Amino acid sequence: MENKTSKIQVIIAAKHFLYRLGLKTIISVIGIDPEITEIGSLSDLKSFLNKGYKPDFIIMNNDISDESILDQITAIEFPCRTMLIGDKGQELVKGRFEAICLENQKEIVEKFQEFFFEPESKQEPSTDKSLLSEREIDVLKTVALGLSNKEIADKLCISAHTVITHRKNITEKLGIKTIAGLTVYAIMNGIINPEEVNQ
Amino acid sequence: MNNILPFTTKTLMADVIHIDYRLIPILGRFGIDYGFGNKSVIEVCEENNINVYFFLEIIKSFHNHQYFPQEELQKFNADVIIKYLSSTHQYYSERKVPEIKEIINTLEKSVDPEHLSKISLLNNFFKDYIVELLKHLEREEKNVFPYILKLEKSISNKVYDVSLIHDIEGEPIENYEQSHENMEVKLSDLKNLIIRHLPPVIRQDLCQKLLTELFRLENDLKDHSRIEDKVLVPKVKQLEKQILEESGK
Repeated sequence: MENKTSKIQVIIAAKHFLYRLGLKTIISVIGIDPEITEIGSLSDLKSFLNKGYKPDFIIMNNDISDESILDQITAIEFPCRTMLIGDKGQELVKGRFEAICLENQKEIVEKFQEFFFEPESKQEPSTDKSLLSEREIDVLKTVALGLSNKEIADKLCISAHTVITHRKNITEKLGIKTIAGLTVYAIMNGIINPEEVNQ
Repeated sequence: MNNILPFTTKTLMADVIHIDYRLIPILGRFGIDYGFGNKSVIEVCEENNINVYFFLEIIKSFHNHQYFPQEELQKFNADVIIKYLSSTHQYYSERKVPEIKEIINTLEKSVDPEHLSKISLLNNFFKDYIVELLKHLEREEKNVFPYILKLEKSISNKVYDVSLIHDIEGEPIENYEQSHENMEVKLSDLKNLIIRHLPPVIRQDLCQKLLTELFRLENDLKDHSRIEDKVLVPKVKQLEKQILEESGK
């Protein structure tokens, strides 16, 4: 888990000072108070990212590079949600960036709100986090007693593949990965007796 | 002032702590005591014989986890890096671990009999973890660090004896590289056992304290392993390569 400092980190990358000022104003209009790093050229941006900085958001204007911006940035790995502001025709990169062209204030503000506040589309599938199923408890019991996947499969008459799936689900539901940790859980919850463990 | 990384050689040492109190143990590890008045970072470092640039990179990377100047850090001599890592080990074994043990022991003593077995289980789990952690640290102190210092010394003296070459060919650092991951996983399990699975009636105050300490230890260990894995190991590989090349092997 990242230990974040309180403010979100935003990089504003645009060649012209006035442009950067404008972007900062829009950000404050939508009510965000981030730590802003201003960058005036693409090479600076690259070296900044290479140093291991991981901002939360990057907003980049297409004036940042004199050559075609698209050629320049497709090779860069952006570590976070990135917005590219530019002309029409930049829909090409939509898969990787939020590419927008600016028409009027209302649109801009909406787009920025969406950019900062809407979660990204790829959300994790929600799993059932409730207690373990009976079968999972059977598997947990054997895992806690130190049996191997093969032994568990034989004992419960299921395939080794199924054992692995059960173990994965158990770990996800309990948040415990090691066998020692699972054993502690199993004893705490009366799934096995402490005496059984050392046998 | 740069808000993301607000530390320079001229920053007052007192301000370093005011800006980020989490740096208190780091200063301790460098052997810096309080009472530095209005002295700047560079003045205090010079007095304590500390490489100020190394000090700054370390506190910056602790202050802002997103800042990790891997290449810059690799430029420092191995003995500077190792001295710091060693005192961090000492901090774990002499301070953090006893503190956490103490909390769990108090918890064990104060819990009612019905929950005693659960706390004892946690205690044993933690004790096992500690044994493993200390063994790991000891291995670094006794084998890995001296080996690295030997490499560095050999380069500065330009003397490459056969036994050292033999050691390098045994790939000790590749063996050492096997990650710190297992340690982190165990600590995370312990946290989850407390957060998710301990009955809520058990001494809330002590559980909170224990959890906070575990989170701190975990974060500290992460920073520590990051320096070992991403700075020290690559640096050693580079030293080994240099020795093999210069000795004509």
